[in-house]
Amino acid sequence: MFKVEDREFVIPGQLVGENVCCTENCLNEDDKVYSTIQGMVRVKGNSGKIIPSSGVYTPKRDDVVIGLVVEVLECGWLVDINSPYMSVMMGEEATRNVMEEDLSRYYDIGDKISVKIIRVNEVYDFDLIKPRKLNEGLIINVNPKRIPRVVGKRRSMLEILRKKTGCNIMVGQNGRIWIKSDRPDDVGLAVKAIKKIEREAQTSGLTNRIENMLDNNWGK
Amino acid sequence: MAEKEMKLIVDGKRLDGRKFDELREIKMEVNVLERTMGSAYVEWGNNKVLAGVHGPREFHPKFLRDPRKAILTCTYNMAAFSVDDRKRPGPDRRSVEISKVISDALSSVAVLEKYPNTGIDVFVEVLQADAGTRCVSIVAASLALANSGVPMKDLVSACASGKIDGEIVLDLMKEEDNYGECDLPVAISPRRGDILLLQMDGNLTREEYTKAYNLAVEGAKKVYGMQKKTLLDSMVNLEEGE
Repeated sequence: MFKVEDREFVIPGQLVGENVCCTENCLNEDDKVYSTIQGMVRVKGNSGKIIPSSGVYTPKRDDVVIGLVVEVLECGWLVDINSPYMSVMMGEEATRNVMEEDLSRYYDIGDKISVKIIRVNEVYDFDLIKPRKLNEGLIINVNPKRIPRVVGKRRSMLEILRKKTGCNIMVGQNGRIWIKSDRPDDVGLAVKAIKKIEREAQTSGLTNRIENMLDNNWGK
Repeated sequence: MAEKEMKLIVDGKRLDGRKFDELREIKMEVNVLERTMGSAYVEWGNNKVLAGVHGPREFHPKFLRDPRKAILTCTYNMAAFSVDDRKRPGPDRRSVEISKVISDALSSVAVLEKYPNTGIDVFVEVLQADAGTRCVSIVAASLALANSGVPMKDLVSACASGKIDGEIVLDLMKEEDNYGECDLPVAISPRRGDILLLQMDGNLTREEYTKAYNLAVEGAKKVYGMQKKTLLDSMVNLEEGE
């Protein structure tokens, strides 16, 4: 039995229900389930989950993230992915003979790259593969826990953003979003829309509202 | 606490007109700082305390990292202008002690296993002090930690009680703390009733202690209600915000 309703806000230590299946951000004590974070409950039948309203990004397998090269090492690059954990991307990702070449030829300090995370273990050691350099463009930071809303169900929100603003948008799961367009106005519009999504992430019917907003601004 | 010059109870009422089991006025707010993961501001009578959390981040030095859990450190600091005469800035014996008791209290409720090898920094700044700052600091720090998205088993609530002029009273203010006989700060985890902090300055008999402890727990539960309301309200505002 759930003691809370769908879309209700909870705080750490609040009772969510008894004998329920709650998988994320919960604490089970005997039959009772308590929330461990501040967020919103989503209930579906006898199972539920709690969506956090804030927090840091922790690496997950198969996530595509936007990283920042902070150091060029002998055998690879040290990449900051906006999380408490750093990782070294191996030099083999860019070249065959790592030891003979100067790796800063490929990626230098301060370069922004999109990378894929693989092989994450319990203490969050992980490997990065498939780097792609993000030239030019603008990178904005949003709350990592709001990223699912920016992407939307089956990428619906992202498709709308791309189509209506005409920008090239890439969303990193770690809360960094890369926007590129030839027209500065379009970038401004995209940033405005993304900030609105971030702010109102917990409301329903957001996709339609964003679509309307973009349609109206488009005429101006 | 030995000298007794002031009369603290006049006509069955305390100096500021409160009853024996009455709290001072409390105001709480979260999400007040931009650069932190979570933050809180608490006004408790004349106490003004600001707390900020730098969420899980890389911990240095590297050899002190714990691969099983995150390390929570708290820094309590009083501003130079927080008391009547200037408080010499920097850590001293008292602030090091309070930093330790706050980080111990928070460490026992936070689910630190979720972020191995990292460090969580909680900073507490006392802008204005008026007795009972360690309780106010714990309340503010726990609000800020909850606001930052670090998983916690429960919030932490705290309240002090004490003995003035032979009477057991709740939530001492400055004069009562200075000229009273005893001060007993208590921090609890309200859901399970675990004690997270219990200190005593002064002397009490066994009966007086039981009475004072129960009074402090009652006060802490009232504070918990306010904490809960503050956190829930902050999320509703988030939804309405344009």
